[in-house]
Amino acid sequence: MTVDSQVKQSLASVKSIQSSISSLTARSQDKQAIEIFQQALPILDEIKNDLQQRVGQLEHEEEQYKGF
Amino acid sequence: MPEWGNILIRSISLVVIVFIVAKIFGKKQLAQLSVFEYMVGIVIAMIAANLSIGYNIPVAHGLLGLMTWFFIPLALSFLAIKSKPVRDFIRGKGTVFIKDGKVMEDNLKKEQFSSDELLQKLRKKNVFQVADVEFAVLEADGDLSVLPKKQKQPLTPKDMGVTVAPIKEPQTVVMDGKVMYEPLATAGLNKNWLETELDKLGVSIENVYLAQVDGYGQLNIDLFDDQLQTPSPQEKALLLATMKKTQADLELFALNTENKTAKQMYTKDSQQLQQVIDLVKPFLSD
Repeated sequence: MTVDSQVKQSLASVKSIQSSISSLTARSQDKQAIEIFQQALPILDEIKNDLQQRVGQLEHEEEQYKGF
Repeated sequence: MPEWGNILIRSISLVVIVFIVAKIFGKKQLAQLSVFEYMVGIVIAMIAANLSIGYNIPVAHGLLGLMTWFFIPLALSFLAIKSKPVRDFIRGKGTVFIKDGKVMEDNLKKEQFSSDELLQKLRKKNVFQVADVEFAVLEADGDLSVLPKKQKQPLTPKDMGVTVAPIKEPQTVVMDGKVMYEPLATAGLNKNWLETELDKLGVSIENVYLAQVDGYGQLNIDLFDDQLQTPSPQEKALLLATMKKTQADLELFALNTENKTAKQMYTKDSQQLQQVIDLVKPFLSD
């Protein structure tokens, strides 16, 4: 697997983590749990953006791996 | 009227009366907090029994006795709620049997307890050695309450300094193959959600004996058919595993890349993800 596709995979994982946590937030009954999950979401957002940028850079460097 | 008719009518009306009396006394009578309340229960039962088949006892006499034994204890228990001295007088107070790890022999004698009986009571509380007890008190209802020494108490998450997620009561959403709408609504879910979740597990509602939703909206089911295996919810464990894997991957990227800014970014991100893992971990482990 190329570096590019590995990073893309991680990006997908982060997205999946984010959606899992969102769905847990929606279904949780406990206030404290909801609060903690909501704290986690923006941090994951940041990581997601970083990885997205990195994917862009890698695609730019190695044209042949372009595309998702 | 023949005698048996008389008995039948008496019995049926007494069933109703006794049922009402039991309802009014409520759960407390069942707990039998004191010897007095225990005796009241027996006396009422005996009056009812005698009145039921003793057709030569006038009904009025029986009812009078029943009412007396019903209203006086009821009045006393209301008084007991209002006033502490009355409460202590009626219910009695607990007697301290073990204090600071030492047996109070005088108190034992006062309650007519032998050392054997004390040991027996302790064993019922899973204490086999008096030295393990810091404090023990004989409650008014005859039960021994035991406070073991701190080092003999079960280990708790607090002792270990572990943070644990708060727990919410589960809601039973399916009973005997029927959907319970009220608990479902309490959990903030609806029938559509339930059907989707059951579809995911590949079972229909009719085959479900019991289904409960925990505080995180996860469904646990028990089927009528015990041969079938049903998976327990894995979502949270899976999420935690994905987070850990992604965190490890980010660390790996940081090590592999030669681009300095990318290295920094990966390191920062992996640290942040670790923070998130630490944050949500107590909530994701069952």
